[in-house]
Amino acid sequence: MTNTNVFKEPSFANRAQSPEPNKCRRIRAYLYRIVNSSLGLDTGWAQKHIANCPRCQSRIVGISKVELALSLVKSQRHDLDLLMRANAQAIGVLKHGLRQTPKAEKLKSTLPEPTLSERFSKYKHSAANVAACLAILLLMKIGIFSSMDKFQSRSQEVLKQYYARHIGQDLADEIFPA
Amino acid sequence: MFDKALGYGLVWDVTVSDTIDESQQWILSAMQKHGQGLVTMLWRILGNEQDVCDAYQSTFLHLAHCQSGQKPQHVKAYVFRTASNVAVSMLRRRLVERKGLSAAIAGRSSGKAVSSGDAVQDVFPSPANEFDSKYLQDILRCYITRLPEHLRDVITLHDLAELPYEQVGKILSISAATARVYRCKAIQLLSAWMSKER
Repeated sequence: MTNTNVFKEPSFANRAQSPEPNKCRRIRAYLYRIVNSSLGLDTGWAQKHIANCPRCQSRIVGISKVELALSLVKSQRHDLDLLMRANAQAIGVLKHGLRQTPKAEKLKSTLPEPTLSERFSKYKHSAANVAACLAILLLMKIGIFSSMDKFQSRSQEVLKQYYARHIGQDLADEIFPA
Repeated sequence: MFDKALGYGLVWDVTVSDTIDESQQWILSAMQKHGQGLVTMLWRILGNEQDVCDAYQSTFLHLAHCQSGQKPQHVKAYVFRTASNVAVSMLRRRLVERKGLSAAIAGRSSGKAVSSGDAVQDVFPSPANEFDSKYLQDILRCYITRLPEHLRDVITLHDLAELPYEQVGKILSISAATARVYRCKAIQLLSAWMSKER
């Protein structure tokens, strides 16, 4: 039996008693860093083992070969009118009534079209840049306006104190109502 | 009287034809919706345009006659699985034909029968360059046909049709996690077989 409670979340009672809620987050990040640095094919000990182990080498070569073959198969292009020809051939064996519908005629001349995501993939980087610029502008605007408010309220307080010292508290309260 | 009967016959024909059109329009809709994905998958499995057209035709013929012309509940699952099975059968047939041909040529040239060795080595004898693109593709296709059905379905749908694991799971009636595990097993088997290939 494996112990499945190791990564269980703490109960509500324990969570309420926990003095530092950020501690859990820090531990999680630390564990993630440790696991990433000590496991994986790029780590030193794994590389050292692979360099001296013919079985692992052949396994990795085999997997790379499969991945390479799969990407080669995927990268092969067919004629642009293949869909059109396939549709025409398939419609040719359907019932007579279906063969003469406008939809069938349209399918016989259909060319492959890129999907919406493929069509807009070239604008992906530009969109990300624009979004980042907008976010920075928004943050700057929020920062400036919040500072302005703080500055105004502080200066009012200083002026009120000045007037209170020189002409009296009553008049200062009248000039600067709360 | 005869004219009248002929007239009624004509009207009857038109009505029947309209009913067929209405009831089987979904086949054309399925072709429109999934055609592109199917052609891509078939092209990657078969690598030959005429074979792709034949497999595509066969798939929609199966669909038109499935459950005596009734629309299946999951059209996408039906067409993708049928297309995959048809393509793999065609690929197997092609490999057997090629093997027979190479055996005949070898037998004729050496004057004696060829020993029954590894099928793949018979089909693709001693490649000049192991990393030759065409050779690698052919060998992968050959080994995909040898995979157990449940692993082969995941490889064809996820890697060749480029469907996400969630959709592969729905099509094969398994969970996405199971599809991931099957894919991993399939890659391990393929890599073991391809490593033996020298």
